[in-house]
Amino acid sequence: MTSSHKMLSAQDLAPLLEVTRRLAEPFDLMTMLAEVIKAAKLVLDAERGTVWLYDQGADELVLQVATDIAPVRVPATTGIVGSCANNRQLINVSDCYADPRFNAELDRQSSYRTRCMLTLPLVDHKNALVGVLQVLNKRDGVFDADDEALATSLAAQCAVAIQRVQMTKALIESEKMRQELEMARAVQQSTLPEVMPNFAGYEVYGESNPADLTGGDTFDVAVIDDQLLLVLGDATGHGLAPALQVTQMQAMLRMAFRLGTALDTAYMQLNNQLCLMLEDDKFITAFIGLVDPRNHTVRYHSGGQAPILHYDATNKKWHRHNPTCFPLAAMPITKERTAAQLIFGAGDLLVLISDGVFEYHNASGEMFGEQRLTDTIDTCQKNSLQEIAAQIMQSVRAFADGAPQEDDITILLLRRSSDTIQRKSFRRSFDALADIFTFTAATAAQFRVGKDALGAIDFTIEELFTNMVKYSTMSHADVDIELSAITDGMKVVLIDYDVDKFDVTEAPEVDVTRPIDERHPGGLGLHLIRRLVNSIEYDYHAASRVSRTTFHKTNTPKA
Amino acid sequence: MFSIEANAEGKVILTGRLDASQSPTAQAAFDNCQGLVAADCTHLEYISSAGLGVLLKTQKRLMASGGKLRLVGVTRHIKDIFQYSGFDLIVEIEALAE
Repeated sequence: MTSSHKMLSAQDLAPLLEVTRRLAEPFDLMTMLAEVIKAAKLVLDAERGTVWLYDQGADELVLQVATDIAPVRVPATTGIVGSCANNRQLINVSDCYADPRFNAELDRQSSYRTRCMLTLPLVDHKNALVGVLQVLNKRDGVFDADDEALATSLAAQCAVAIQRVQMTKALIESEKMRQELEMARAVQQSTLPEVMPNFAGYEVYGESNPADLTGGDTFDVAVIDDQLLLVLGDATGHGLAPALQVTQMQAMLRMAFRLGTALDTAYMQLNNQLCLMLEDDKFITAFIGLVDPRNHTVRYHSGGQAPILHYDATNKKWHRHNPTCFPLAAMPITKERTAAQLIFGAGDLLVLISDGVFEYHNASGEMFGEQRLTDTIDTCQKNSLQEIAAQIMQSVRAFADGAPQEDDITILLLRRSSDTIQRKSFRRSFDALADIFTFTAATAAQFRVGKDALGAIDFTIEELFTNMVKYSTMSHADVDIELSAITDGMKVVLIDYDVDKFDVTEAPEVDVTRPIDERHPGGLGLHLIRRLVNSIEYDYHAASRVSRTTFHKTNTPKA
Repeated sequence: MFSIEANAEGKVILTGRLDASQSPTAQAAFDNCQGLVAADCTHLEYISSAGLGVLLKTQKRLMASGGKLRLVGVTRHIKDIFQYSGFDLIVEIEALAE
């Protein structure tokens, strides 16, 4: 090393200042690296320059740009660059072929002979390694201490600039990805049924909760020629492609069934069509079933969608079924297969759930699994399907204990009405009252509830329902009404979703003995119903924001 | 952590978690396999649908030229995933002796 540094000439300084200016400009990585190398060569009077970028994931150094040399990857521990990366120290080698760390392979590949070489770590202001700068072959000798000082100042600027460009690139990419996922989510959600169809003697409920990285889940329910079509599908992957694939699948299925295609034929055709459309490593797991209310059967094909859970209400037992076939699009099907069949008893429940539930991992890597699911449902068998779905989501979240949802979670539930319970959903609107009264009258006849009791029941439901319409304006969900037969009467439950707490049973008593001008409007309806019905209870579940108001009414007036 | 090793006798050893981030690595290794391939899953801890996609693509390619992929030493948990997803109908699996 020389002890006295030569003065920087204007000629030396100009390119350095020019680099400083250029490094501040927001251009792409390749252009900037080329500028850095150009400046390094000029300032240090060198033949060649190379910038290795550090790939932290692979712990490798990547040669992105080098004049005349094709991209190369080397382990971040090999050779002179590796040593420089490891020790974060400048290495000045005056005779490369005398240095055992020197890798002559690159020279051989590029038919070039490296004589001397200056290697500098590119370290950002947080001391993280960004890459390594190499300058080869000083034109009139070897690199000296002045060159080392010049190169060091160039490297410092270079490191920060590279990092800035890389961060900008990462930001742009994440923004692009965010936009794609937003679009995927919109596509996926747009195909989901907004309202559940009315299907006599059955209740059906579906919901899909997309993950941050929207996956390819879908479900469909539709009444087709007196049968109920049930579809739950999950295409592999995340983002736009799977969302589009399941949308196509859904459209193809609806079209096939509307055209009167038989289930077995539709399934085979769908599989074979998707086989042609999807890439070799892509597939869709799907349950496709038709509910026949005449003989209470569910005929289905399940391409890799399992477990299929069937709760047998008569024997209070769970049955589980494996898929009938490999996933859709995995392989062509050459011969039509006969659908599997479930016989559905009164009160039976069919549970179709995407693997996002079963495979939901908590922080300690445990999976939610099948047992937790059936245990959860067993705690709320008597509730409405929407409540059961809410309960499942809540159990999964409680189990996850903060672990993120990595996959879409789709839930599709079907229940055959039991002979002693009738449930129906009603739009949150005063217009729904007429339908409600038709429902209560029909059920009252079935449960042998008399006219007087029905009058009190209708009055009470109207009072509670109109309160929900008027005061729970934050919710757009339907209100469920559940009527069950009790000895000599009926139990009524109104279930209100996504609402704040409002306990009707805590409404202040109205003093009906006070003179008219001392009384305030309101509260009278609630005051009256407490006298009309045998008992009334309010229950609010804060986590799921669901309220249940339950009352009993018997034919014989209460004592 | 995931690793895949393939030896000359057509045996592939899968270790760790084969998820979406590792499936390109697994695919690249399987792409070099020919004929009858046995994949040892004794130390395969987890497989996601992206991993199943790798096996599917490999099975299609091998079968097209008279070969076949077979999984051996399949643990209970991995076997469940294969059955749930109907992949036991695509790839022959041999359970780990318990």
